[in-house]
Amino acid sequence: MSDPVAELVFLIIKAILMPVIIILMVAFAIYFERKFAGFFAGRVGPTYLGPWGSLQSFGDVFKLISKEDVIPSRSDKLVFKLAPYIAFVPAFLVMAVIPFGSVGGEANLFGYRFDYVISSFDTGLVLFLAMGAIGVYGVVLAGWSSNNNYSLLGGLRAGAQMISYELAMGFSVAGVMLMAGSMNLVDIVDGQAGAFWDWYWIPQIVGGVILFVASIAELNRTPFDLAEAEQELVAGHLTEYSGMRWGMFYLAEYVNMIVVSAIVSTLYLGGWRAPFESWNVIPGPIWLFIKICFLIFIYMWIRWTIIRYRYNQLMSIGWKVLLPLSIANLVVTAIVISVVG
Amino acid sequence: MGLVDIVKKGAFVDILRGMSVTGTYFVVDKVTVEYPKEKLQTYPRFRGVHALLTDPDTGDTKCVACMLCATICPSQCIKIVGEQTPDGRSHPAGFDLDLSRCVFCGLCEEVCPEAAIVMTRHYELATLDKNDFYLDKQKLVANQVYAHKELYAIPGADGGATDAGRSAAEPDGAAGRVPGQGAAR
Repeated sequence: MSDPVAELVFLIIKAILMPVIIILMVAFAIYFERKFAGFFAGRVGPTYLGPWGSLQSFGDVFKLISKEDVIPSRSDKLVFKLAPYIAFVPAFLVMAVIPFGSVGGEANLFGYRFDYVISSFDTGLVLFLAMGAIGVYGVVLAGWSSNNNYSLLGGLRAGAQMISYELAMGFSVAGVMLMAGSMNLVDIVDGQAGAFWDWYWIPQIVGGVILFVASIAELNRTPFDLAEAEQELVAGHLTEYSGMRWGMFYLAEYVNMIVVSAIVSTLYLGGWRAPFESWNVIPGPIWLFIKICFLIFIYMWIRWTIIRYRYNQLMSIGWKVLLPLSIANLVVTAIVISVVG
Repeated sequence: MGLVDIVKKGAFVDILRGMSVTGTYFVVDKVTVEYPKEKLQTYPRFRGVHALLTDPDTGDTKCVACMLCATICPSQCIKIVGEQTPDGRSHPAGFDLDLSRCVFCGLCEEVCPEAAIVMTRHYELATLDKNDFYLDKQKLVANQVYAHKELYAIPGADGGATDAGRSAAEPDGAAGRVPGQGAAR
């Protein structure tokens, strides 16, 4: 039965465990990014620290912490210091609404009900889009406050890129919203009950691909990493950052990648559900973890394969291809749902 | 843009093709040689640090102090002081070589009529002490353990021809990978 005290205790446990797990995942995501960067080029990647170099990210963090924290004298200091956190915090918040197991039902833990979600939030999808948009402020403000031409250009590019891709993202997500009849991610996963052919990736394949492509742009990853295009802009918005402030942006990028992978798998790949009903003996969090890892691998594969698009190509993909396609997808979905019911 | 192009772009054909290339590299044997842990075997004519070979019969250097190497050396890093041995043979009393000026061109080895000065396969010469770069006769003679067995008979190792002699005279273990063999592609 639902007991307010037990619920509070569970909530605190979940709220502490979730960021810890995500930070650990980030550490290994960074390690695997470097390892796979080597593998995709026929090299071996980091090998020194720990078995197969697996502790590389922890070595990176110690190095970053021990480095000097340089703040340009003519920068806007308050904004300069604040920007990494603006990029970093919103990424975590989205994790609160992502279900990683069954929600509601009978008691399952010591006679109490343990819900596998931090908050069954009614407008979870809107929260995801909003936090994604706030995260961009971190990049734009970092670019603005650095008082550096390269930084400013990087920040402006990030802003322009986000406007063009956020729209397509919102429209493609709306298709799922219509199918589930809810913006609550718990309800969306419930709507995908059954085996993998019941998931939304088959009826919403266009929307899913659009969301995936737009999320690469949202994550500032190659081929859409215009904001920190090394060859043109040194490091874009990161140019003036050093030490752990730079590391915060780096962490935010990977937290974002995990969160977006979780969102994509929740919306289109059945969230915590097993591909076959009988495989549900393996608990939900593990299935979600597997799906997140799979999507992260695809992100890395794409990053180390495709070169960066030109700025005008990026804009024309966003406005001329993804946006019309996502609107068409939404319209068709709406018509089909209103006709079929 | 024709219909074929649109279909190709919509199905990410080119991107998937690129990904299949990188995916192939993901699974094949890696080409990396993890240098301090594993080393490539040097080529037989590799020009590493110099050595003065000794004559297995007399135990003295083969060098006759003809000054040809000191003369041809483009960076003039070789200083030889010749002297007469009791049996009337010419030999170097001092043979100094300044590695910090040497360009490892190998001309001294080419010009030597006695095959006395040779370039070896030893290349890890980094040091914290600059004086280590000034090789005197003693150090040069000691370096002959690194000499290429394929090219020169090494004294003190049965003429360097037998297997036992080889392993005895190979201090840094020539068990490294042969260049080009690591990339099993």
